[in-house]
Amino acid sequence: MGPVPRTLELFYDVLSPYSWLGFEILCRYQNIWNINLQLRPSFLGGIMKDSGNKAPALIPRKAQYMANDIKVLRQHVQVPIQFPKDFFSVILEKGSLSAMRFLTAVNLEHPEVLENVSRELWMRVWSRAAEKAGMSAEQAQGLLEKSSTSKVKNQLKETTEAACRYGAFGLPITVAHVDGQTHMVFGSDRMELLAYLLGEKWMGPVPPAVNARL
Amino acid sequence: MGPVPRTLELFYDVLSPYSWLGFEILCRYQNIWNINLQLRPSFLGGIMKDSGNKAPALIPRKAQYMANDIKVLRQHVQVPIQFPKDFFSVILEKGSLSAMRFLTAVNLEHPEVLENVSRELWMRVWSRDEDITQPQSILAAAEKAGMSAEQAQGLLEKSSTSKVKNQLKETTEAACRYGAFGLPITVAHVDGQTHMVFGSDRMELLAYLLGIFCGPGGCLSSPYPQGFQEGVHH
Repeated sequence: MGPVPRTLELFYDVLSPYSWLGFEILCRYQNIWNINLQLRPSFLGGIMKDSGNKAPALIPRKAQYMANDIKVLRQHVQVPIQFPKDFFSVILEKGSLSAMRFLTAVNLEHPEVLENVSRELWMRVWSRAAEKAGMSAEQAQGLLEKSSTSKVKNQLKETTEAACRYGAFGLPITVAHVDGQTHMVFGSDRMELLAYLLGEKWMGPVPPAVNARL
Repeated sequence: MGPVPRTLELFYDVLSPYSWLGFEILCRYQNIWNINLQLRPSFLGGIMKDSGNKAPALIPRKAQYMANDIKVLRQHVQVPIQFPKDFFSVILEKGSLSAMRFLTAVNLEHPEVLENVSRELWMRVWSRDEDITQPQSILAAAEKAGMSAEQAQGLLEKSSTSKVKNQLKETTEAACRYGAFGLPITVAHVDGQTHMVFGSDRMELLAYLLGIFCGPGGCLSSPYPQGFQEGVHH
């Protein structure tokens, strides 16, 4: 048996475009690197509040930069990500609490589909193309009901608090457990640094031997 | 004659640690990639003011993250970067106006030493925790970079002329027009288009924009390219 896989926790919120990019990159690498990727649905709003940070989009030049950045990253990372037409309404007003509670319920009951359902939710918010995640209507309805239970609400709170304890001031954060040490990296543009911390090879955001999922 | 080198403008301030990292990476690649690297000394304080942004260090968790991040990047990028003991005083109180005016003067009169003098100023503030606000400090950096005392003194005097003050203002405004809300920003001019990337962690994306071949090893498998001689700079 080979060396024990290193645990990588990815804390994310579907409201966060960079979370989607980080997620796709790590999903591609989970069968290439010797890692155990653990998805941690979190609530970005809670992290912002707890850290005293503010959404970058509130600074006009940052919003402008993000819009352009996402366009370029769409090509570079090969993810069909696109700014929603009513960006401010989506991000700052509608928010993501129900979606993240839903993913929390999925993680509790059917963790094996968490990756697919997360992707489906990102597709709805951040892409024009939406696919089916392969969940039956009954399954989805059942989970939707569970989403508003205290158990699920508390689980989302706990996961969000865990991210805060790791030092999060935004999302995505990736926490790597390596040789008894914990390293937190923020953003989707730090995967090369993550590779360095893991002692793994970085092959860009679209490594070879990736099955085209999108 | 080969294809025309693409111009990369690097807007930086020696107060900014990530500017130093971006600077060293691009300096290493300037003789590897087909680029013409143009250094643009800018004033971070002016960019913050103009964009409505605030220093990240004012958010406690961001300050904590930066402190750790710089430690890791020190190894990964191989630059002897270290947080000054009294970070808030250095960054938020003392600032970098005189240093950046000096570099502006260097750029106007002796651009061939701009890279070296910039590096020596970073070494003072972001490696040896030394002052960069006093005239003697700036002169010491210039001399360490190979300038004579007379040359350095002459440039120091020029630093307080309107010509130099205005040049720094113009460069800073140019960064703002490119959309800067912080530093470093790298502006790549490729095929008649302009691309601005923020931060020192976007060099792989920059390589992608420059059309640098991205093989299985990645476009940029290391911020420390093969063949780079250790010890040359420090």
